[in-house]
Amino acid sequence: MSADQKVLSVKNLKTYIYVNNRCNKALDGVSFDVYRGKTLCIVGESGCGKSITASSITQLLPKLSRIESGEIIYHSEKGDICIDQLERNGPEMRALRGAEISMIFQDPMTALNPVYRIGAQISEGLKYHSKNTLAQLKQISIELLQQMGIPLAAQRVEDYSHQFSGGMRQRAMIAMAMSCKPKILIADEPTTALDVTIQAQIFELIDELKQRHNTAVILITHDMGVVAELADHVAVMYMGNIVEQGTIDDVLRRPAHPYTEALLKSIPILGKGKQQQIIPIQGSTPDPYQRPKGCQFEPRCPYATEQCQIFPDSQPISGTHEALCWHSEKVLSHA
Amino acid sequence: MFIYFTRRLLYLIPMLLGISFLIYLGLELTPGDILSYLLPPEAIADMKPEELAAMREALGLNDPFIIRYIYWLGGILQGDFGYSLASGVPISQLVLERVPATLELSVAALLFSTFLGVILGSISALRRGSLLDNSLTIFGMIGVSIPEFIFGLSALVIFALQLEWLPVGKRLMPGYDSYWDHMPHLVMPAMVLGLIMTAGVMRYTRSSMLDSLNKEFIRTARSKGIPEWRINFIHGLRVALIPVVVLIGFRLPMLIGGTVIIEQVFQWPGIGNLFVNAVRGQNYPLVMMISFLSVTAVLFASFLIDLLTALLDPRIKLE
Repeated sequence: MSADQKVLSVKNLKTYIYVNNRCNKALDGVSFDVYRGKTLCIVGESGCGKSITASSITQLLPKLSRIESGEIIYHSEKGDICIDQLERNGPEMRALRGAEISMIFQDPMTALNPVYRIGAQISEGLKYHSKNTLAQLKQISIELLQQMGIPLAAQRVEDYSHQFSGGMRQRAMIAMAMSCKPKILIADEPTTALDVTIQAQIFELIDELKQRHNTAVILITHDMGVVAELADHVAVMYMGNIVEQGTIDDVLRRPAHPYTEALLKSIPILGKGKQQQIIPIQGSTPDPYQRPKGCQFEPRCPYATEQCQIFPDSQPISGTHEALCWHSEKVLSHA
Repeated sequence: MFIYFTRRLLYLIPMLLGISFLIYLGLELTPGDILSYLLPPEAIADMKPEELAAMREALGLNDPFIIRYIYWLGGILQGDFGYSLASGVPISQLVLERVPATLELSVAALLFSTFLGVILGSISALRRGSLLDNSLTIFGMIGVSIPEFIFGLSALVIFALQLEWLPVGKRLMPGYDSYWDHMPHLVMPAMVLGLIMTAGVMRYTRSSMLDSLNKEFIRTARSKGIPEWRINFIHGLRVALIPVVVLIGFRLPMLIGGTVIIEQVFQWPGIGNLFVNAVRGQNYPLVMMISFLSVTAVLFASFLIDLLTALLDPRIKLE
């Protein structure tokens, strides 16, 4: 097993959302790879298409949306599966969900069903993806909750979600997601709704599980600190495109896209004191129905030139690093 | 939980006392002399004023209002519900004779409307915007807005008079007294009452189900890769049912009131029919007793609904 075994490849993915007879090109040509046992962090501001990317992979998209073109290939042990070709809620898709690719959602308060016991919800997926008796399922949920660091797991599986605290609910969600030992875990801003003190614990737990089960993790976040801590690879998204991706060192140390550069400059660093210069990104994101013609970042970009009226090609910076910008050389040298 | 429900039951006592007082007060305030209901006008004309006064005294009609109320209430507590002014038969006997018929009708209508309403409502929600959903919506609107007596009379004309599939009314025909013999009589009133209620249950289930299908736990359930029916019914409908049960609970008083009209239309020998006759005949002890018993039934029904919602929704705290 090579270190860089791909488990998921997304190629030129376009997912459009249709609202009020208008088409929002939520994802406009997104490509990336996910490797076994590695964490890919997808960062970007709200509405840039991070969550749509995640839900495209499991086809848990809103009703009025469609994968228009592109490929999502899951490299399973039994060969490649083109997820984009599968019927949205069909049996093949269901066989993947939960069992091979599982998800953790943003808000654990609402993501759990209020009327069923935690234990039953944790093992529900397993019930359909394996052949276990009810007693075994219960035992497995207890063990899972224990692994998630919940004390008195044997009693807590009998609880309902409202008896759990926010952090515990998210742990239960993770237990649920890990119940079938999936190959890919997608965490869509798993700590946004939680206390800061709990956030670190949740990330630590996800990282630990990743290492133990060699799971690939796609972590969606807008916390650059988390990215620096956990990511192996980073993809920066802006207006439905991945504007820059590479290894963590590539992107955080040598940003080659003006947006990444601006994003990094806009984050205050703890301990630097009041003197540090925080530079906000100028302007605001364009209306998704009235997009700029060429580069999507052009109206806000300090490097913008005539050339930027044409949509940029992906510029390889190094073997692992690429940016969607005509001026990536200039940005690199600037940093 | 036990303590909660015991306390909930104890709350019923002051409520019932208050309501009994209001009912007694209401009849006290209605105009008219009780003796004029009791005796034929000629008899009153023949009687001397002293005789009338003596009769008043004997009947306790000269006692203050509160004392009379306490006597009346004391009678009820001892199982003495009073006597019908029209026939002199004990009210308890009259009511007991009628209760099975009303229960039979309302339970049949309630079960019918609950099952049909929940099933149609969830199908409507799952097929939102389809032809089926829209036709059910129209059916629901008609059901909610059509007056019961029109619906009942049309059903009578079509199914009993034209098609002659079902008997015209009444609960039993002479000579047929086995339990199953009156089932054909039950069908039409129960269906008419049930269909009218189905419309509401269906609309409510639909919106509650749409609401719960949009919740995030549905997406979580879907992310587990479980079959769609399980997502829709085990997760979606189960949560959507909680407010529907509350609605059905609120319907129970309507059911008792609603049977008054249906029982008249179909000549169903239930409480509603008895009540109408009592009001027409100014049989005031009977009117009072039926009102009081209906209120009691409604209060107990709402208690049962509380119990049921607590069982359905673990978030309801029972302390």
